[in-house]
Amino acid sequence: MTFRLNQKSVSAEGREIRRERSVEGERLTIGRAPTNDVHLTDLAVALNHAIVQRVGPLRLSVQAEEGLGLELNGRKVTSGFIELAGGGEVRIASHLLRFLPMAADAQEIEVDVERVGESAAEEMDRIDVRRFSVGAVLPSKRISAYVLIALVLGIFLAWPIWVYSQREPADAQAILTAQRKDDGTGVAAPKQASFSPDSMWSSGPLSQVHHGLEQQCSACHVNAFEPVQDSACAACHTNVHNHGDRTRPPAEAFGRYLRSFPVLTGWAKIERAVADAFGKSAGRCVDCHTEHEGPQQMPRTAQRFCADCHTDLTARLPDTRIGNASDFGRAHPEFSPAVLIDWSGEQPRHQRIPLNRNPSENGNLKFPHDIHLNAGGAATQMTRRLSDRYRGRQQLGCADCHTPTADGVRFEPVDMEQDCAACHTLAFDEQDGVYRTLRHGSPQQVIADLREYYRGRGPARPAELGTGARRRPGDIGQVRTALQYARARAGAGAAANNAIAAVFREGGACYDCHTIDQRGPLDFHVRPVGWQNRFLINGWFDHRAHVNVTLQGQNMSGDQACLTCHVADRSNQASNLMIPGLESCQRCHVGENSNQQVIGQRVESSCAMCHDYHMDEGVPAMILRQRVRGNRWESTTIPVAQQGASPPRAR
Amino acid sequence: MATRGARQIERVRASAHEGFLRHRNFLWLKIATLLSILFITGYALIDVTPRHNGGSWYGYTLGTIGALLILWLTVLGLRKRAMTRGRWSLKAWTSAHVYLGLSLLVIGTLHTGFQFGWNVHTLAYALMVLVILSGIYGIVVYSTLPDAMSDNRSAMTKAQMIDAITKLDRQLQIAAQPLSHEDTAIVSESLREDPFRAGIFRRLSGSDRACRNARALRQLKARLTIAVEAEEDALQAVVQLMDRKAAALQRIRSAMRIRAMLEVWLYVHVPITFALIAALSVHIISVFFYW
Repeated sequence: MTFRLNQKSVSAEGREIRRERSVEGERLTIGRAPTNDVHLTDLAVALNHAIVQRVGPLRLSVQAEEGLGLELNGRKVTSGFIELAGGGEVRIASHLLRFLPMAADAQEIEVDVERVGESAAEEMDRIDVRRFSVGAVLPSKRISAYVLIALVLGIFLAWPIWVYSQREPADAQAILTAQRKDDGTGVAAPKQASFSPDSMWSSGPLSQVHHGLEQQCSACHVNAFEPVQDSACAACHTNVHNHGDRTRPPAEAFGRYLRSFPVLTGWAKIERAVADAFGKSAGRCVDCHTEHEGPQQMPRTAQRFCADCHTDLTARLPDTRIGNASDFGRAHPEFSPAVLIDWSGEQPRHQRIPLNRNPSENGNLKFPHDIHLNAGGAATQMTRRLSDRYRGRQQLGCADCHTPTADGVRFEPVDMEQDCAACHTLAFDEQDGVYRTLRHGSPQQVIADLREYYRGRGPARPAELGTGARRRPGDIGQVRTALQYARARAGAGAAANNAIAAVFREGGACYDCHTIDQRGPLDFHVRPVGWQNRFLINGWFDHRAHVNVTLQGQNMSGDQACLTCHVADRSNQASNLMIPGLESCQRCHVGENSNQQVIGQRVESSCAMCHDYHMDEGVPAMILRQRVRGNRWESTTIPVAQQGASPPRAR
Repeated sequence: MATRGARQIERVRASAHEGFLRHRNFLWLKIATLLSILFITGYALIDVTPRHNGGSWYGYTLGTIGALLILWLTVLGLRKRAMTRGRWSLKAWTSAHVYLGLSLLVIGTLHTGFQFGWNVHTLAYALMVLVILSGIYGIVVYSTLPDAMSDNRSAMTKAQMIDAITKLDRQLQIAAQPLSHEDTAIVSESLREDPFRAGIFRRLSGSDRACRNARALRQLKARLTIAVEAEEDALQAVVQLMDRKAAALQRIRSAMRIRAMLEVWLYVHVPITFALIAALSVHIISVFFYW
C-alpha cells in the first residue's frame, strides 16, 4: 500500500510549486516535526499531530494526538474514519489533506496536501497602508453627518412640530388658576406640567408669574409663524387700562396715543421697518413686557421709555394738558392738583391748578392751622386742661386730628365728634351732670332740638349765648299762671327763633367753622365740607413712605416730618392749599440715574415711582412690587367669571 | 510693469513655501481680529432693550452674519477639492476659513447675549463651539505633528513598516519550528498580532496593552528561564525575533498615533458641522415658528 502525496505550495513570486512523494506502508504520520511523513510547517500544528492508518480495504482511520484536534470533512473531531470510495478531507491548522476517491482495486492512495491559509485578497488587506488612517476604524464622516442630521432634525424639529400639530391651544388662565393657592393669595408650589418637546425651543425661563406656563408654549404662541398677539395677553389680563387719555372715547384716545410717538428717523426708522416687515408691529404688550428673560420679576419701566414721547409731547399733541417731562429732577411740570374751588351748589367743583399759581381750596370749612399749632395759643391752653385726652402733652399735634388710612397712604377725613368736639363742644343743656348737645351734621335736627327745648321750658336764652341766669327745669310750672303760660309760650317761640338764628349766624356755634347760606328768615343751610383725600390724580404719593424724612443731614419724624412738606404752622386759613410743590419733592427726589445733588436724602426716582403706564389709579406697579415682595397676590388678572367686579388693586 | 511685478511676487510667494496660517502676512488674521473687535465694541456701546440677546436688532444682525459665515465656512469642504492658485487660491480660502472661523466664536457668543439654557439654541451654540475647538486642535496638530511624523518613520514608508512585520513573522515561523506545541501556541499568538485592529482610542494612546506579541514575549521569556540546551537556543532565537517585532510594532503604533491625532479632529469637525447646520436650521425655524 502506498500513499502518494502531492504537496502544493506557492512561491514568494506567486508561482505554484508541486512536489510529489510516496510513502510506503499502512500508516501516515502528520506533524510539524521533520520526521513525519507529512511535514506541516504551520506553528499551529503539533510536532506529532495525527496518524492516518488503513483499517480496511477502503477505510482509513484518522486519529489526532492526545489533546489535539483536527477537522475531518468539515467537522471538528479528535478521531474518525475516511471511506476511500468517496474520499475525504482532513484539515489541520492551515493545511488541507485531500484524500482522493479511489477504486477498490487501486494500490495507491492519492493525497493532495496544500496550505489554504491566507487568500490573495487577505494578503492585500494585510499590506494595505490605508489601515494606518483612522478612517479604517471610524465610521465615515458622511455616515456620521447623516446620522447626526437625522437625530437633530428628528428630536428638535419634527418631534415638537408633531406634538404642536396634535394639541389644542393651551388655556393659560385655567392652567395658572389651577396652580394658584386656594385662597387666591399666591402661587402654590408650581405643579410643573409634563415635558412638552416644544419647550426645547424656549429661549429662556419665563418670568416668575408666568412660570407655570413653561411647558405651555401655545398659551401665548397661539398660531405658528405669527408674532405673539396682545389678545393672548388680554385673555387673562382683562383689567389693564390702555395708555392715553381715558376721558376721551377709546378710538380717539388711541389715535392721540399713536400721534404722540416720536417721529422715527435714521436707524430707528429702519429698525421699525424691519420689525414691521417681520410682523412685529409697534405698541404691542410684548414690546415692553419681554419674556424668556429668566425667572425674574417684570423689570421696572426705565425712565427713558416714558421720556421717548413725553420729553416733547406738546410738539405732537399741542392740545394736551400734560406738560413735557423727561426727568423728575430736571424737567417735570409743576404739580396740578385737582383743587376743590367751590361747593356752593349741589356738586363740588374741582379744577386742576398748578401749584405755582397758588390755588386756594374752598372746602367750606374755617380752620386756621396756625392757631391750633401755636405753642402759646388758646388751643395749647385747652390741650393742657384736657390732659386726659392728650396724655399730658402741652400742645396739639398733627395726629390729634389726622388719622392715617389703614394702608397708611392717605388720611381719613377729620371727624368733628372725634377730633374737634373735645374742645368745640356743642352742649346747650345740662341735666344732672349729663350734657345735651346739638346734633352735628344735621342742621334740621339742631333747629328741631332748639324749638323743642324752648317749647317745653318757656323762653330762655340758649346756653350758647352764655349770658343771664339759666332757667332751671321745673321752675316754670310753679311761677306762671295759665295766661302767663300762654303768653310765655308765644314768647318762647320767639326766643327759640332767636336762638336758632344766633346759632347759625355770625358769632354762633355753627358759623365759627362752617359756611352757612341763609335762604329765608329761619332757613339755614350749612355748606358741605369737602375733604379731599387725593389731590394728585395721575401721580402716586404714599405718606407712609415719608414718615421719616432726612433733610440737610437731619432725621425728622412725627410732626416735624409732616411740617417739612406741609407748612401748617404758618397757615392761617383753611383755604391755604398745603400741598407741597415740585420744588419740595425735588429736595430729595432726582431722576433715574441722575447725578444731581440735593439737600435731602437722595432718592433716584424714575417715572414709574409715581406714574403707571397703564394709567391705573392705584399703586404704581413698581411700588407695588417693591412693597409686597411676592407676599401678596396682586395682579391685573381677574378671573373671567368676575369681570366687572371691583379691581383687585389696593387703593 | 505693475502687473509683471505683481506676478513676480506671486511666483516668489508660491515658490517659497508659505503655509495657510501665514498667508499674505496674516492678512485674514488681521481681518478677523478687526471684525471681532468691531463686534465686541458694538456690543459694549450699543444699548438695546431690555438687554443684549439674540432677539435684539444687534442680536439678529450678529446671528445673520454668524449663520452665513457658518455656511461659507462649510463650503471649504467643496472648495478644497479644487486646488487653484492666485488671489483666490485654495490657500487663501483656507487661511480665511481658519481665521474667520475663529472670529465666529466671538460673533456667536455675542449673539447669545450670554444667555444659555437647555434648549435647541444653546445646542446650536455648543455644537458651534465644538466645531471651532476641533478646528483649533486641527490647526495645532497640522503645524506641529508632521515633523514628529517624519522623525518617527526613520525614512521608512508605511508599506516598509508593514513589510518589516511580515518578514519578522516569516522568520519567526521558521525559528519556532523546533519548539514544543505549547511554545508554538505562544508564538502563534504573536503571529496573530495585528496592530491595525486597534480602535481609535488605542491608536491615539500609541500603545496597546493587549498586544499579543508583547504578551507572547513575556510568556516566552518566562519559559526561557527554565529551558535548557537545544530548546533554550531555539527559544532564544524566537525571543530575539519577537523583541525586534515589538520594536517594529511600536514604530507602526507611533505612526498610527500621529496619523490618528492628525485625522481624528476631522471626524468631529465635519460631522458636527452638519449637526450644527441642522441645529442652526431648527434654531431659526423655531424662532419664527413661535415668533
